[in-house]
Amino acid sequence: MELAVETRALGKRYGRSWALQDCALEVPAGRIAALVGPNGAGKTTLLHLAVGLLRPDAGEVRVFGRDPRDGPSVLADIGFVAQDTPVYRDFTAAELITMGGKLNRRRWDAALARDRLAALGIPPDKPAGKLSGGQRAQVALALALAKRPRLLLLDEPIASLDPLARREFMQALMGAVAESETTVLLSSHLLADLERSCDYLIVLQTSRVQLTGVVDELVDAHRTLVGPRAGSESIAGVAEVVRASHTERQSTLLVRRDRTAPIDPLWTEHEVTLEDLVLAHLAAAEPRVTASAWGVPA
Amino acid sequence: MIWLTWRQYRRQALFTLVTLGVLALIVVPTGLAMHAKYESSGLAACQAALGKTSVITQTEAVSNCASLAHQFEQQFGNLVFVAILFVILPVLVGVFFGAPLVSREVEQGTHRLVWTQGVSRLHWALVKFGLVGAITAVLAVGYALGVSWWFGPLVSTTSRLGYFAFDVQGVVPIAYTLFALALGVFAGTYWTKVLPAMGIALVGYAVVRVAVEILARPRYLPAQSFTFAPDSKQTPNPAAGDWVMDQGVRNAAGEMVLPNAQIGPCGPDGCGNTGAGAGAYNWVEYQPGTRFWTFQGIETGVFAVLTAALVFFAIRRVRTLS
Repeated sequence: MELAVETRALGKRYGRSWALQDCALEVPAGRIAALVGPNGAGKTTLLHLAVGLLRPDAGEVRVFGRDPRDGPSVLADIGFVAQDTPVYRDFTAAELITMGGKLNRRRWDAALARDRLAALGIPPDKPAGKLSGGQRAQVALALALAKRPRLLLLDEPIASLDPLARREFMQALMGAVAESETTVLLSSHLLADLERSCDYLIVLQTSRVQLTGVVDELVDAHRTLVGPRAGSESIAGVAEVVRASHTERQSTLLVRRDRTAPIDPLWTEHEVTLEDLVLAHLAAAEPRVTASAWGVPA
Repeated sequence: MIWLTWRQYRRQALFTLVTLGVLALIVVPTGLAMHAKYESSGLAACQAALGKTSVITQTEAVSNCASLAHQFEQQFGNLVFVAILFVILPVLVGVFFGAPLVSREVEQGTHRLVWTQGVSRLHWALVKFGLVGAITAVLAVGYALGVSWWFGPLVSTTSRLGYFAFDVQGVVPIAYTLFALALGVFAGTYWTKVLPAMGIALVGYAVVRVAVEILARPRYLPAQSFTFAPDSKQTPNPAAGDWVMDQGVRNAAGEMVLPNAQIGPCGPDGCGNTGAGAGAYNWVEYQPGTRFWTFQGIETGVFAVLTAALVFFAIRRVRTLS
């Protein structure tokens, strides 16, 4: 299995605080991977490390086995759309495509970019600063795709778009990568937008990887259990309780199954949705401000 | 890269050309008038006749030449204020060309677009700095030649080494301009917002220029001095273009008794009671006007080294910026 992105003990520090710590993950080639986590979890840092904008302070990152800071030949394989889809605001879309050609002499599919923007009805002669946010995002995507990248990294490309533009963007993205072998790593704090499109999941929380794997396998490996109010005793067939909530008489647990044994029939089993799963892992790892930091009794 | 740089800077380049064109509209007519008057009044010829020695014998020709120079200054002296404009011009290059070069990219996030394409950051920095630097250098050469020509007659009556006069003539304006550009670029790599970078470039340029001008320049070479007795018929040569650092009257023992003063040349009856006592003499400490090109070379070297250092650190910073 070829790995598009691979990190080992990867860390990045700003001053004294780690934006990303001890990050080990693999994105197999050909996957459409969602990088999910709240704001400030380290998603942008991870993507910037993968595209060579940042230099790691610990560990290493490999893109198709190579260090992204090894030079432009590695970058030629990576298409990157940064947060807020920055483009030169006084350049027209046509000029931006020309610019891409000048900056990517090895491989540049200007026709692909033009066809896409024509199909979307984006005017070629209007400065990018005067386009709508959705149109600008489409221009940025077209620029990234025209590199014909093997890996496409997108940093919250839809966060600032309205719901209609979001759907159009995701449709355009999925349409573009469907016919190619491109691996996609897409970050968002909105899981709902990615749920339908992605087949691989990475959950980041407080600068650490909380969960990573193929979506179907992750969903299959987890169950919601409802049963009598439980303490901390172990339950047959459960490898790990990710998150527990209790009422006076019953408990609801989100658990990772232990496949070697059936789950204790005392508990009612439910399938989990991807959203339940992600929220449970995020909540479990949520940082707690200690009472002492506020100077109040715990 | 060249296409991109030109596309990003064409508007500023055009604006600069228009500005220089407007300045030319002031400089060319006034310069032609000045040069015509300089020749026709006989000032040029009499200055040439006096030569460049620092002290000469007082003759009628010397006073005639001094009076012609005085007339010339009366007529054109107010143009010196235009020269102040030329002193400011290089820093504008640093503020408007240099400072935004990197900081605007980072402020608008476009560095994440351009630094993730198939061109290394080093390549990006070299082409961008090189091209903007080359265009600036060409403009600066034109500007320096033009202002040197324009200012020539006016400074002939004082000293080419003096403040302002030295700063807008010869090759130093080119060095100042490239230094301002490099300082702006450097500031933009550490203060990655456009306005603070511009402010740092402006303040930094002023501080360095004033420091070099006040502290370093008078000491590039040891100053010389000459003395002459009040009744000796000797006088400083008004055409020598010497940069007077200090002068005064010293008594017979060599102590300064009348700072910033000069006695004589006295009439045939002697100088009378000047209060300085017998044997007092005039003393002048100066940098000879003939050192103009030496000083230009030294000052250009100083700023060239500063420019190179700033470019080096700017490129180093670009390679680690994110």
